[in-house]
Amino acid sequence: MPSADVVVIGAGLAGLTAAIELAERGATVQLVAKGMAATHWAHGGLDVAAPPGARSPANGVARLKARGGHPYAILEPDLGPALSATFARLAEMGLAYRGDLRTALRFFPTPIGGLRPAAIVPVGQAPALEPWSPGEGLLLLGIERFRDFWPPYAARNLARQVWNPGPSRIESAAAALPGILELRNLNSLVLARRFDDPSWRAAAVAALRATIPGKGRWRIAVPAVLGLERHADVLAEAGDALGHPVFEIPTLPPSIPGLRLFEALRARATAVGVRVQIGFEVAGVERDGDTITAVATHAAARPLRISTRDVVLGTGGIGGGGLRGRRDGALEEPILGLPVAAPGSAEWLGGDLYGAGGVALESAGIRVDDQLRPVDPGGGVVLRNVRVVGSALAGMRYLAERCGDGVALASGYRAARLIAGEASNPSAAEAPGPARTAVAS
Amino acid sequence: MSFIDAADVTYPAFSTDNCIKCNVCTTVCPVARVTDLFPGPKYVGPQAQRFRGGPSPDATVDLCSGCGYCTRACPAGVLIAETNSRARARMVEQRGTSLRNRVISDTDLLIRFGVPFAPLVNLDAHMPPARWLGELVGGVHRRAAVHPFARRTFRSWWRGRRGVADAGPEKTIVYFHGCAVNGFEPSLGRDAVEVLERNGFSVIVPDQVCCGLPMISNGLYPQARRKAARNIRSLASYARRGYRIVTTSTSCGYTLKAEYHEMLDLDDPEARAVSEATWDICELLSELHDDGRLDTRLAPMARDLPYHPPCQLKAHGIGTPAMDLFALIPGLRAIDSNHDCCGAAGTYGLKKERWQIAHDVGQPLFEKIVASGAADAACDSETCRWQISTATGLPVRHPVEYLAESYRSYAAAAALQGAMGERRPR
Repeated sequence: MPSADVVVIGAGLAGLTAAIELAERGATVQLVAKGMAATHWAHGGLDVAAPPGARSPANGVARLKARGGHPYAILEPDLGPALSATFARLAEMGLAYRGDLRTALRFFPTPIGGLRPAAIVPVGQAPALEPWSPGEGLLLLGIERFRDFWPPYAARNLARQVWNPGPSRIESAAAALPGILELRNLNSLVLARRFDDPSWRAAAVAALRATIPGKGRWRIAVPAVLGLERHADVLAEAGDALGHPVFEIPTLPPSIPGLRLFEALRARATAVGVRVQIGFEVAGVERDGDTITAVATHAAARPLRISTRDVVLGTGGIGGGGLRGRRDGALEEPILGLPVAAPGSAEWLGGDLYGAGGVALESAGIRVDDQLRPVDPGGGVVLRNVRVVGSALAGMRYLAERCGDGVALASGYRAARLIAGEASNPSAAEAPGPARTAVAS
Repeated sequence: MSFIDAADVTYPAFSTDNCIKCNVCTTVCPVARVTDLFPGPKYVGPQAQRFRGGPSPDATVDLCSGCGYCTRACPAGVLIAETNSRARARMVEQRGTSLRNRVISDTDLLIRFGVPFAPLVNLDAHMPPARWLGELVGGVHRRAAVHPFARRTFRSWWRGRRGVADAGPEKTIVYFHGCAVNGFEPSLGRDAVEVLERNGFSVIVPDQVCCGLPMISNGLYPQARRKAARNIRSLASYARRGYRIVTTSTSCGYTLKAEYHEMLDLDDPEARAVSEATWDICELLSELHDDGRLDTRLAPMARDLPYHPPCQLKAHGIGTPAMDLFALIPGLRAIDSNHDCCGAAGTYGLKKERWQIAHDVGQPLFEKIVASGAADAACDSETCRWQISTATGLPVRHPVEYLAESYRSYAAAAALQGAMGERRPR
């Protein structure tokens, strides 16, 4: 039977972070995931905390922490170090991010012309968050026949938003890019891959430039398709050629910024020795009392058993499949059968999905102790060597609080330190651990 | 588990209802990566599936190479590649298929006629005029990777071997050699037998025919079912008595393990027993090593070795056991290609209308291997080996061939040392 020091279940931000942090500390890590997704569905920025009224991610965290039962009550000390470690390793993989916990939350336009608060974003999205100066207009520059980004529609909606201070005027245009009109299949991925090709890129950038209205100062928003593997090159070239600041607006899944984030972290994980196994759905686990001794995954003929010392559960919330509604109206955690803290099914959808408080169901999840171990309603630890990370945690509202990425990074980081024996009690988390090998920094 | 829950996860057509249209599958599809002709797994899979009551709505599903990346990436558990394979079979049932597809998928037939005339046929296979003719008349691309026929089949060699005893289920391996070993690469079969015997197993080779995968890939399910039935008839009695069936082809292995059930609906206890008894050879050897039972007296082979884990291996869900085995050979540094697919996909890359797609899919892999400066490369699946070898000009071997070579060198060195020791004057 193959063995690992740690089996990480889930290939989202939380699972990947935990796996990388552990491998960097010398552990042998197997990361198994049913599929990929969390990153591919999201905008590629890092939402730490933006509940209504928050001025910055740090301020948002403080507000959430003040409310009882939020994962940040445990995780806040880990957030800063987790973010710096993530920034460092992403930069090393050629994917720079901007902003930090103290950056002011500002509005970021969505592809349908909504506004969402953001502070920490990939460098390709950063110009959107610069303060708007008087006389500066927003030009939504689309690509003809690309159905996931409709500039006139977005422009009309944006004109109706309360965006103050925002752009002085909003206009839209679309460019016909070479060879694109003839394609049978056009999605964000096709365009991003085209932009990776230097010769096509030069012609495409020229076509984009030709559609810019003659006068005035613009900030130009394009759909987030500026390259996949050569994103940094594309960004630099587009910025130079267009003569105005340019930023990307992430479009419908597959989100290219999310894909870049996933690929950078996966490459990093592989480079530090994590075995990343996608398509490995957990079939069951073997226990010895309150300890998991092996994780079994579905395989073609018989389950693959991996013996392990520790388990990190990063399977996500309801969206990611980490929690599942049963026909009898209860929520279950399908892999380990952990107790789920959730409102009664009659209250699930109480509240406003996109409003200030979100819906009650959003806060459902696994309750943990300060070592991220799952606990029962009485507070007793259910499984001693399991750490729960990311959106599976109870008490967070992914949509309403925009805290999913911050919780994922901080919990992944904390789980790794706990397993490596560096943070056996909460106060130790703030001091650098003795065994910390400085691979990332 | 209720009937509906069970159906959700095991029957491809039902699983398509779980699709949430997130397009993650499209991001990992090697074919959609290189051609605009293929709209991607989501469109030809769960999307088109809703219209598949009557005549097939969309022929582009035939561009699916069956690599299975979509199924493994899907966060919602949709069996996309399996749905596509069934859709193609349905299309072939409704519209028929070419003589070319029937011929290239009938490997038993090819071997029966190819091996006796090997010198002639092999010469033909490397003469440009013959290849042009083959493309024009036969629809097999002139640059496609075709492997020369063996002069003598593996089974013929095996029959000439004497004194092989059945040592009971624990100590005996039932070897499923597959068509590639039988008609094209018998030396791999001999190496596999050698490696198994070195580890204390008896090897037996019962009656068997092509696993049927080439037919499944070409939508010829009824023909594949006939092959499957014969194999199951022959192998089930061993499987039920606890023998392990071992393959050196990740493709045949996956077919025995999963496709008889997933594609061909062969779900009886006999088919189940065969599935559960089947092991990939690297999976078995790596398991032996985990249990401390693998002979690790291996001689050094100091070099960097590019290794491409084939798509079919990934479908097994066993990781990359070959990497663990390579690590046992002193000095051998295997480097995972980290590339999705070589493009061959069995018979896909042979077809004149598919060759360019297949080549483009594998191109980054070929470039990587050539750039590494390595003198050879490794891969567990035959048509992938031939595709990579044709494109790079390098020999590409099965992982077990490296083990066999390393065992032999060790034994030779030990023998030499022994002989020297005896002669050394006191």
